[in-house]
Amino acid sequence: MTLSVITDNLGYLLVGAWPDGPIGGLALTLILSGLSGLVSAVLGLILGLGLAMSAGATRAALAVGLGLLRAVPIVMLIFWLYFLLPILFGLSVPEIGTVVAALSLVGGAYLSYGVAAGIESVGRGQWEAGLALGFGRWPTLRFIVLPQALRAMAPSFVNQWTALIKDTSLAYVIGVPELSFVAAQVNNRAMIYPTEIFLFVGAVYGILCVSLDGLASRLARPRSVTVHRA
Amino acid sequence: MDQLVGDLLAPRYLAWLLQGFGVTLALSAAVCLAGTALGLAACSLREVGGEAGRRAVAGYVGLVRNTPLLVQLFVWYFAAAALLPRAITVWLNAPHVLNLGVGALYWPAYETLAGFCGLTLYAGAYIAEEARAGINGVRAAQRGAALALGLTPVQAFRHIVLPQALRLAWLPIVGQYLNTIKNTSLTMTIGLAELSYASRQVETETFKTFQAFGIATLLYVGAVAAVEMAGQALARRSRPAGSRR
Repeated sequence: MTLSVITDNLGYLLVGAWPDGPIGGLALTLILSGLSGLVSAVLGLILGLGLAMSAGATRAALAVGLGLLRAVPIVMLIFWLYFLLPILFGLSVPEIGTVVAALSLVGGAYLSYGVAAGIESVGRGQWEAGLALGFGRWPTLRFIVLPQALRAMAPSFVNQWTALIKDTSLAYVIGVPELSFVAAQVNNRAMIYPTEIFLFVGAVYGILCVSLDGLASRLARPRSVTVHRA
Repeated sequence: MDQLVGDLLAPRYLAWLLQGFGVTLALSAAVCLAGTALGLAACSLREVGGEAGRRAVAGYVGLVRNTPLLVQLFVWYFAAAALLPRAITVWLNAPHVLNLGVGALYWPAYETLAGFCGLTLYAGAYIAEEARAGINGVRAAQRGAALALGLTPVQAFRHIVLPQALRLAWLPIVGQYLNTIKNTSLTMTIGLAELSYASRQVETETFKTFQAFGIATLLYVGAVAAVEMAGQALARRSRPAGSRR
């Protein structure tokens, strides 16, 4: 094992060419994860509410769209958006935007089912109580059902965010210089230390995923509430 | 729309896509088979292998689940090649053909082997977890009853717990098969000419992006839908009569 290939390239692996060039490496992985985590959570909530609150043709159309997003490999989705986004918006979209859009769509599609299940896990009695108190459908959802449902949804959000951190590595296919891409660059340059480089990079991802998991279970512990299923 | 689609793809390029699809299907099938065997073996080791077995499997599953598949494929493609003795690497990188009279059997290229190993280890860890969830879903009383009837712990696991657990875990395991089909797309990064790789090649050569990606997408969606439906049909058929699940 030769650790010098890591220490010599540590700056490049952590922040890419920054400050002389665009930011990359681990920093870009964190930026991609944060942005797509945020957008996918918002999308997941909206789509999940749509699934839970709609019926008939609207729901069927929504389910088909979400099913498609879950059936297509993320790599293909990145290719599609790379090609379609500039046509749709009539201007060039940076590669980072393409990746965030693809990961957010996929993450949102997966989360929406967790959100819909969370809403359905709140008992019918809660809905009826809200309506009986004179709340409308949406205020009942907003003030009574959703606060309880969010607790049931929390684990699926954490799982999805962990998956997102790993999936940011797919930005590699369109040349976004995140951690995996710069690692492959360093590997191509050094040629003879692939084990050191990729084990190091794997360990960095591992630390990110495990600490997100640990943070989530620590946050969940103090106010752990038994979820009563109807 | 017309200018997006343009003329139809030439048959030559369609053939590229279909060839890529064939590689995707064959690789997926091999990985699903080997991954299921690995996953069930790992899960069994966790259940009956004592403390050491439990720890070894937990370590394997933790490693696989907390690192990106892309990095794992790079480890198999670049690092494994560097770690193996030189003679073996040379042999693996050279073409080998086994003549069988009726046809020839080709030893797979190095990237195919690396992709197969990486994807199988990845799928195996997830399938082991789904199987474990299935085992946890079988009530403890079932095992107790088996032991009370005089079965040994291994027999109780093999004949009483495992069959019920597999029924519970089957649909989640099918979900992992669907993930495997999609995950094969990552092997394009190590140069395996599967469907995503082919679609990008066709796109680069023809500039008919819409068709190249469209056909590839339809093929993926079709394969995923077919496997999902087959999995559900199997689940319905294997459900014991009179069960409520």
